[in-house]
Amino acid sequence: MAFDYGSSVRTDIGDAHKIYWQTLTKPGNWFTSAQRIAIAAASREAIDCVFCAARKTALSPYTMKGEHDSQVDLPPLVLDAVHRIITDQTRITKHYIDSNEQDGLSKPAYVELVGVVVAMFSIDEFHRAMGLPLEVLPESGAGEPDHYQPKQAVIGTGFVPMISPEGTTGQEADLWRRGRTANVVRALSLVPNAVRDWVALSNAQYLSFEGMSNFTQPEGRSINRMQIELVAGRVSAINECFY
Amino acid sequence: MLRVSATTTNTEINLQGIAGDQAAAAEGIEFGAELIGFAEALALRDETALREARTVLRAAAGEAVLVDAAGVAGNFQRMVRIADSVGIPVDDMQGELGQGVRQELALEQFRSAENSLNPVS
Repeated sequence: MAFDYGSSVRTDIGDAHKIYWQTLTKPGNWFTSAQRIAIAAASREAIDCVFCAARKTALSPYTMKGEHDSQVDLPPLVLDAVHRIITDQTRITKHYIDSNEQDGLSKPAYVELVGVVVAMFSIDEFHRAMGLPLEVLPESGAGEPDHYQPKQAVIGTGFVPMISPEGTTGQEADLWRRGRTANVVRALSLVPNAVRDWVALSNAQYLSFEGMSNFTQPEGRSINRMQIELVAGRVSAINECFY
Repeated sequence: MLRVSATTTNTEINLQGIAGDQAAAAEGIEFGAELIGFAEALALRDETALREARTVLRAAAGEAVLVDAAGVAGNFQRMVRIADSVGIPVDDMQGELGQGVRQELALEQFRSAENSLNPVS
């Protein structure tokens, strides 16, 4: 059975990973299930992509031409975005995303793609950290994307439209407590389900929103908050994340 | 967050642990050296070091600590990519605590600092 970790791993981690796998078997707002699973597969291929490795060392990541190592069926723009997010995310620019939009990869589709890539990556990285084999990707399900996007998403923060801190109304009322959020929570809100997915994963892998307000010993964790933030900080520093 | 949790618990820590100094990581934080060795090996994709760091952390702190650390590390492999993929700026660039941490760790050298220092609008 998928994500059957046994008794040594907290059950909420396995449950969160299972639930995420199920979301891949359904269409998103901008991609079919098959496309979402292809994006997930591409995120795994990016790790060993020779072109990505060469481009990572290039002075400018936007002038180098080449082909990504890939067996999945995705449009080149989509494949390139997946690989950049995994291998060279600090050099993604607004210009890159705007150019992609002109060439056919819309901003909502890009945000959904980011959501799939990062969720997959966090699950795979947990496996790698634990020395476990990667889980087999699920079979795709039927259905078409509905192209839903929240009307209240606006341009103003970062490279893509987002819901404002006060904008969690209507179908998006559950995303965060109105007026109380952070940019990293709002980041994927052009595709509300991408926020829901990352919050669900974060609740298990890191902390819930409530748990984040506990700066001593979060409930249900064997490490205290300083130990948690030391690990978080070191991973972020190696990834050169200013945020 | 590390600084806040240290202040909350009245613990003396050395932020250079974040920069990779294992001795500094151990100051005030139990298993600090083992935890950053593990986090570092994962993020650097050094599989040999990761196997060793996993063994060391498991032996020193136990399986439950290893699991929780693996979860946090996986989570932040995701979070940094969310932040950079959509170019979000730091929420509060003016806060004294954040300024001090950014200065102490020289974070402005990172390419993605641009998203906060010169945010698009």
